[in-house]
Amino acid sequence: MNDNMAEMQNSDNTTDQKPPTKCCDNSKSAESGRCCKSAQAPLINDQEQQSPARRSFLSALIAAAATFTAAVSTAPLMRAGAAVSENSGANGTGKRKQYGMVIDVRRCIGCHACTVACKSEFDVPVGENRSWVEYIEKGVYPNVSRSFLPRLCNHCSEPPCVYVCPTNATYKRAQDGIVVVDQGLCIGCKYCLQACPYDARFLNPITGWADKCDFCAHRVGKGLDPSCVSTCVGGARIFGDLGDLDSEISKLIAKNRVTVLRREMGTFPNVYYIAADHTDELDARRPEVKTVKVITNRRHKERR
Amino acid sequence: MEHELTWGLPVVLYLFLAGLGAGAVTVSASVLLRSGDYHGGSFFKLARYGALIGPIPVILGTCLIIFELGRWDRALNLFKVINLSPMSIGSWLLVLFICFSLLYALVFLPSFLPRFDWLTRRFAPIMHVLSWINVPLGIGVAVYTGILLGAMPSRPLWNSPILALLFLVSALSTGIAMVILAQTLFHRKDPTVHTERRIKTRREATLLRPGRRIYEIGYLLTASDALLISTELMVIFLFVMFAHLTVGNLKYAMAIILPGGEMAAMFWVWVVLVGLLIPVLMEMFYVIPKVVYRREFRIHEGSEILISIAVLVGGFMLRYIIVIAGQITGPLGV
Repeated sequence: MNDNMAEMQNSDNTTDQKPPTKCCDNSKSAESGRCCKSAQAPLINDQEQQSPARRSFLSALIAAAATFTAAVSTAPLMRAGAAVSENSGANGTGKRKQYGMVIDVRRCIGCHACTVACKSEFDVPVGENRSWVEYIEKGVYPNVSRSFLPRLCNHCSEPPCVYVCPTNATYKRAQDGIVVVDQGLCIGCKYCLQACPYDARFLNPITGWADKCDFCAHRVGKGLDPSCVSTCVGGARIFGDLGDLDSEISKLIAKNRVTVLRREMGTFPNVYYIAADHTDELDARRPEVKTVKVITNRRHKERR
Repeated sequence: MEHELTWGLPVVLYLFLAGLGAGAVTVSASVLLRSGDYHGGSFFKLARYGALIGPIPVILGTCLIIFELGRWDRALNLFKVINLSPMSIGSWLLVLFICFSLLYALVFLPSFLPRFDWLTRRFAPIMHVLSWINVPLGIGVAVYTGILLGAMPSRPLWNSPILALLFLVSALSTGIAMVILAQTLFHRKDPTVHTERRIKTRREATLLRPGRRIYEIGYLLTASDALLISTELMVIFLFVMFAHLTVGNLKYAMAIILPGGEMAAMFWVWVVLVGLLIPVLMEMFYVIPKVVYRREFRIHEGSEILISIAVLVGGFMLRYIIVIAGQITGPLGV
C-alpha cells in the first residue's frame, strides 16, 4: 500500500517527463482505457490482412461474434469493474473524492469520547453504537497489555452491504464515497446487517430501519469534521479526502505503516489504522499469547 | 455464550415453508408433465394434492417475513427496483411463483365436482402450460432460499455454493413428504382394494391387513423421496467434509456442527438421524422388494405418516440449524 502511494506521488511530481509511449496512465480515467482498445484493434486487423482473405473473413466473423458475446455476457461485470476502478482509483489518482479516516491507535486513550459524541450527535438509541471502542487485553501477568481499537463503518470501496440491499436503500455516494442508508427506502430486512463483516450496522429500534455511521455527512457537507474526530482528545482520529494527495490523511497513509480490518474480506475499507492490535479472542490458542480478552463495549458482548 | 441473532424464527420458518411449498408444487407439476394425465387418473389426483397444498405454506411463510419487517407496507419498496441482490431477485421470483401456483391450484378445483367435468377437460392445456411455468419457478424459489444465505463472505458457514443445492434437494424432499402426508390423511378409503385379491400365502395375508395399501403412486413418491434423501445425505457429507478440509473461516465455522461443537448434537440427531437416515431406511424397506424382486409395492399408512413427519421435522431443523449456526459463527480475526 505504502509503496503504491509513494509511486503514485512520484509519478504525480514528474508529470512533465512522462514517457510518450505509455498509453494507459493511471491518472487517466475510463476514456484512456477505451483509447487503448481502439489502438490495439487496427493492429489485429493488420495481422489478419496478411492471411488468406477467406480465412481472415471467417476469423473476423468469429472474433466479432466472440467480442459480441463477451460484451453481452460481461456487461454487468464490466460495470462492476468500472465501479471498482473508480472507487479504488479514488485512493490514488486524486480524480475522485473518497472520504476516509486514519485512526492512530498510539494516540487513543480509550476514553470513549468519540462514542459519546456520536451518540449525542445522532441520538443513537440505548444499546446501539455507530462508533465504539474495543479493549483488547492479552498476555499472562506480568507480561500483559491492553490496547484500544476505535471502530466505525469502514465505508468500504467494495461494500458488501450495498451489494445485498434489495431496494437500493443503502448505496455509496458518488460525490464523496460515503456509504449511506436511505431511511425512506429501507424495509428493515436486516440483510445488510448480515453482510457487513465489521458488524457496523444495526437495526434502529426506534425507526425500525438499518442504521450506521455516515461519517457525519451533514457536518462534512458543511466543511466540518465528523463529531468523533473533532471531539477526540488525543487527536487519534484524522479525517479527510483520500483522493486528495495533499490532504493530511493521504500523507499519513503514505508515510506510515497502516492496516485495515479484515483485509481478507476483500472490502477495501477506507478506515486505516496505525499501530492497531489485530489480536482476536481466537489468538488465545497461540502458546505465547495464552489469554486474550476482547471487551467490545457493545450490547452484544462478542465480536462477530 | 451470548449471541445476538439478526434473523430469528420467522426467517427460519419462511425458508422452510417456502421450500416446502415450492417443492410440493414442483413435484406436482413434474408428475403431471411426466404422466400426461390431465383428467381423473391416479397421477392427476396425486398432482392435485401437491397443487392445492403447495401455495399455502409459501403464502404463510411470506406473510411471516413481511410482518417480521419493521413495517409491512414497506415491503412494497422491494418492487420499485430490481437489482442483483439475491433478495431482490428472490422476491420477484416469489411473487411470480405465488401468482402462478395459485392459478395452477385454481384449475384443479373443478375436478372435485363431476358436474364441471367439461371444465376440467377444457383446462387440460392450461394445466400443461402452468406446469411448464411452475417447475422452473418452484426450483427457482427453492434454490434462491439457499443463495440468499450464501451471498455473504461475512457469514462463512453460509458462503458455500453447495448450500443452495442442499436447500433445493431438501425442499423437493419435504415437498414430496407433504404430498405423501396429505394423500395418506385425505385419500378416500377404498375397501375393494383388499377384498378383490385372492390371498395366497401367509405373508401376503399379513401384508394385506387393514391399513396396508398397494398402489403404484405410493411407489413413485416413496422411491423418489428415497432418492432425494440419499442425494441430500451426499450433499451434506460434501458440505461438511469440504468445510472441514479447508483452512480458515469456513473450517472454524463448521466446527460448530462437528462433534464437540455447540450445535453438533442437534444437527446429527435431528437433521441427519431423524430427518434423513430413519426415513431413507424405512423407504428402502418398502421400495427394495419392488425394485429387486418385482413385488407389488405395499406400504402401511402408519409408516407413510411417520416417514413424512420425520422428513418434515428434519427439513425444518436443517433450516433452523444452518440459519442459527451461520449467525453465531463469524470470520476469524479482526
